[in-house]
Amino acid sequence: MSYVAIKGGGRAIAGAAAVTEYLRTEQGLDNPAAEPLAIDAILHQLRHLVDRVVSEGGVYHPQFAALAVKQSLGDTLEAAFALRAWRSTRPRLSATPPLDTSRMRLIRRISSAFKDIPGGQMLGPTPDYALRLLRLELMDESPEAFRAVARDWLENCPEADLPDSFPKVLDALRAEGLLPPLGAVRDEAPFDITREPLVFPVPRSAALSTLARAETGALLAIAYSNMRGYGDVHPTVAELRVGYLPVLLPHPVTGELTEAGEVLMTECEVVAMFEADDAGGKPMFTVGYGACFGHNEVKAIAMAILDRALQKGMQDGPENPSEDPEFVLLHVDGVDSMGFASHYKMPHYVTFQSDLDRLRTTRQKSGEPA
Amino acid sequence: MNAMPHTTRGSAYNFGFLDEYAKKEIRRAVLKAIAIPGYQVPYASREMPMGRGFGTGGLQLTLALIGPGEVVKVIDQGADDSVNAVNLRQFIEMTCPGIATTTKTAESTLIQSRHRIPEQPLTATQILVLQVPYPDPLVVVEPSEDKRKVMHGEADYSRLLVKLYEDIVQFDEITISHRYPTRINGHYVIDPSPIPRWDVPRLNDAAALTLFGAGREKKIYAVPPHTRAEPLAFSDVPFRVEDFRDAAGRRRACARCGCTDSFLDEFVGDAGSKTYQCSDSDWCDEQLLQAEHAQGEPA
Amino acid sequence: MKRECIWQADAQQCVFRELVEAFSRPGAVRDLTDWLAGTAAQRAVLATLMDGETTLADPHARLGAADWSLLQARRDTTESARYVVADGRRAPGFQPALGTLESPEMGATLLIEVAAVGSGPLALELAGPGIDGLGIDGRGELHLDGLHPDWLARRADWTAGFPLGVDILLTDAARIVALPRTTRVTITGNPLT
Repeated sequence: MSYVAIKGGGRAIAGAAAVTEYLRTEQGLDNPAAEPLAIDAILHQLRHLVDRVVSEGGVYHPQFAALAVKQSLGDTLEAAFALRAWRSTRPRLSATPPLDTSRMRLIRRISSAFKDIPGGQMLGPTPDYALRLLRLELMDESPEAFRAVARDWLENCPEADLPDSFPKVLDALRAEGLLPPLGAVRDEAPFDITREPLVFPVPRSAALSTLARAETGALLAIAYSNMRGYGDVHPTVAELRVGYLPVLLPHPVTGELTEAGEVLMTECEVVAMFEADDAGGKPMFTVGYGACFGHNEVKAIAMAILDRALQKGMQDGPENPSEDPEFVLLHVDGVDSMGFASHYKMPHYVTFQSDLDRLRTTRQKSGEPA
Repeated sequence: MNAMPHTTRGSAYNFGFLDEYAKKEIRRAVLKAIAIPGYQVPYASREMPMGRGFGTGGLQLTLALIGPGEVVKVIDQGADDSVNAVNLRQFIEMTCPGIATTTKTAESTLIQSRHRIPEQPLTATQILVLQVPYPDPLVVVEPSEDKRKVMHGEADYSRLLVKLYEDIVQFDEITISHRYPTRINGHYVIDPSPIPRWDVPRLNDAAALTLFGAGREKKIYAVPPHTRAEPLAFSDVPFRVEDFRDAAGRRRACARCGCTDSFLDEFVGDAGSKTYQCSDSDWCDEQLLQAEHAQGEPA
Repeated sequence: MKRECIWQADAQQCVFRELVEAFSRPGAVRDLTDWLAGTAAQRAVLATLMDGETTLADPHARLGAADWSLLQARRDTTESARYVVADGRRAPGFQPALGTLESPEMGATLLIEVAAVGSGPLALELAGPGIDGLGIDGRGELHLDGLHPDWLARRADWTAGFPLGVDILLTDAARIVALPRTTRVTITGNPLT
């Protein structure tokens, strides 16, 4: 008799993997029309899932992100985790210089600060003004109808003469002296959170990169606390842009900057409450910055608000959780937090035995029966 | 590259999973951890393909240490066949071709463990890697790491001692059951990981090096061999290990091997009856084997 | 071009394990011959520990341009580098980083090459963590040759305020020995006295 699985742990693990794999393929039971999810279908039809996974996984590899979505049965935390673990095995071979986001090939760009902006507002793909009504016609969409939609859209799309780059809304405010000029921080080597541990206080670049691969929901929750009143960022979205950013890398032989590809990303700049500068100069607006891989506007906005809140906290001391760098940066990572939540499912019987011992001893001392 | 990777035939991954640069960073942190006993050295913990909290810190240490010829033992709750131990061992076997694994404490050169130190005293040719969920014993009295780092540097543990003292006032006993704060080399107080108090004295003047890896909290620390490790206590309320005596004051024995000086797991039967068994499965096996030898039976 | 074996990951793993042993047991002399294939021990240790994420200072100009590009370490001043490579026959005319109370690991690791580790006229008695004697307050001894006398005097200053300090690794052609900041050193036999 033994309650301890002296043998069998290995079999149990294999069994758990097998039954999970059964769930993934169960649809194929007695169903000749069942097909495995194609990576391409995930990439295109579940693109926001892929966007979350490249962003939270911290590596821009949409194909592997789609694969991770497939193997995790659509669990974004698990999928981002698998992508991160894969990333751990890759050496860092090169670094890009700071990339100029005014060169983004935009699919969407809005400003809530001005009615019209240089280059124009471009609504692009967004559910913002859509009615959230269930589209029951998609319940049984025919392949023919599916293929016709995109074709028709392209045929009816007017030729637009879009410029290669759009000026940033903030540039105009900066030119007017309402924002601090871009400082010398640009020359500082950015902090690489994948290579250096966060030891507080950390530079803003460390905070930004931590936020950029944070879990969307965690980021949103803490930013929301600031929006509701545990903080006073009071942001205005100066600009939110979504598009493809050319990635420039130094050529391995010549060292010359060469376009290596492009990444889909979302960028958000919020203008926040103004403050007088330390030297007693003119009061100016302050800026919060958010950017992440993929199309994920809620994340970029939440990040921009938290960036501003954290800058305030670093400068004046935190008054709210969202202004405390340690509190925010150590609690927004999806891989860390989901892993720790899951670990409580592991056996803890040695520590519990120890707990029992303490409770019994304590009760004995207070004269109660153990 | 200044570290040509191990070539691993037929594997998509480098020997030891981590890339060589990741190993170098962990190795630099390990050497500093040994040089400053008990100090939590920060490092850029990498994501491993298992959950944070499942031993990723310990695993990163193991993978940075491991080499051909290694004999690895992995235990969880003292048992080699606990699901998490099996999982970690399989991962090490898969990513480190050529190494050997064992369940025998005496045969191993590198032991990765969660929540236990083996009963069998370790030797100078062995390294023990403990998995750590919470590296900082001061977190119970100070949530800010910034402030904790100053307290550690100054060896200022007064607030922790006050916490222990309040326990005594309230319960007439120190109520910390496991993760017992332990002072290393007279300076840093460590969280020795969730080992029971039973195991804490083994850290003192040990023959083997013990390394602690906290993957999620991104810290590595060490208790070198032959180093003082003293559980915090008061002169009138001493540190006490778990008490395995029954109501009549007799030491309970393992129901399987009969051992009366090992840490026991308690099992509650269907009828509410209690039985006890060694938590360290290899120790239990060895005791049985010895008993069989003593009786002249074939092993 | 023939590559020295110390640039191979498996040799670096072996050297690292010797370093773990050396730092765990101050005064214990470890022999790296099996992994060196003629390369000096100090160079093997550098190959094992350096990459682009850390900083190195070379006050005695022991490294050539080719070494720097192989090691990839960022060149830094002796005052702030995480690692300092030095010639033990010369006096240490510099002040290494000692770390801070909050981050004592910023205290430098000094890699010092001497004529001989484990033998020689300079005799030291060692005490502290990692030293196996009878009981926990054991004493160890270490013999060295070719260490400029200033090093031990300066080391005593640098390590006076634990947890601040420097950690030293002494090497000769093939052998290494560590004196981490916790090791208390007494000179028991000195060729100069």
